[in-house]
Amino acid sequence: MLTIRKQNELQKPLLITLIGTGLIIMTSTVLGKEVVKSVTDIMYIVITGIFVALTTLIVWRFRTTGSHGKAWLLFLGTATSWFIAETTWTIYELVYNVNPFPSIADVFYLMGYPFMFGFLIYYLKPVRRAATRKLIITAIGISATIAIPSIYMAYSFDPSVSLLENILATTYPIVDAIVFVPALIGIVLFFRGEVNFTWSLICTGIFCSTIGDLGFQFTTFTNTYYTGHPIDIILIWSYILFSFGVYDHIKIFKKDKSVEDKVKYSDDRF
Amino acid sequence: MDFERKQLMKALAALAIERVLLGAGKPVFEKVSSKLQKEYKCYIPDCYDHPEYLGNVLKSIFGNSYVTIVEQIREELVEYSDDKDMDILIKTIGS
Repeated sequence: MLTIRKQNELQKPLLITLIGTGLIIMTSTVLGKEVVKSVTDIMYIVITGIFVALTTLIVWRFRTTGSHGKAWLLFLGTATSWFIAETTWTIYELVYNVNPFPSIADVFYLMGYPFMFGFLIYYLKPVRRAATRKLIITAIGISATIAIPSIYMAYSFDPSVSLLENILATTYPIVDAIVFVPALIGIVLFFRGEVNFTWSLICTGIFCSTIGDLGFQFTTFTNTYYTGHPIDIILIWSYILFSFGVYDHIKIFKKDKSVEDKVKYSDDRF
Repeated sequence: MDFERKQLMKALAALAIERVLLGAGKPVFEKVSSKLQKEYKCYIPDCYDHPEYLGNVLKSIFGNSYVTIVEQIREELVEYSDDKDMDILIKTIGS
């Protein structure tokens, strides 16, 4: 009951944030491509900045203790990599006025995925035995299905797109699908638990990232991508969902001073 | 003598629970302790007498996967199963 009430507390601001960001980008589109480009780029930096700040807070709370501590440290690696990537993208686009794809920003985007995979694995480590073979195979099956359109597009790409662009644009949905496997397993394992809301948000975030990256691949191959394209809304949503997921976890595991002293007293009894 | 043995077993049970929870992270241990205190007015060592409290708290935090945490605690305690209460704890925790 408490869990449901707490989830409702976060659901409203989350919904407002998601709708709000979508509306801002759509309204900016009406004002022209240059406006939407600037608005979207700045929005990416602000949101990934908040994502880094929240992840730093949770790392501070866990201080690398136990497998969850290590997991959150790895997640900070993801947040930082993507923040650097978004900042680099914006500098290329708004300061130097050059096309940021492909660029050094892609190195940082891709660098975030091994950290993300490590985060998911370390978080699941204490409960790994609950993951049945059937569950793992189902999760792999779902993720592989998501990656199929990406692989299909990679083979039928427009010759005007360079090989490097093709490889990079195809890699994103594939690595998204890979990290989606442990995320799906986590959803099932933590079902009905307090941490399930965090996990659901992270899993939905990865799903949005996959859809966004599939859209990015498609629009790159059809030469229709521009910063501020509707697929950017989905990609921004993924960062928002990750941030709310981290915030929910901070709330669950925040220090309870009133109980802390009593627990110390109970330890002293031995 | 019996009282002393019970206290010792209680401490061993508390240590095993603490070790497993700290394996996940200190805030996890603190969260479980806090929930036990708030919802059942008890501390980790009291789970020796009320293993069902710990099972319920772990379930409320970790959902379906709480069984594996319970399993780890059982493994830590199985060597003391010759103690009657410890045996009850091992058998009833999380069930």
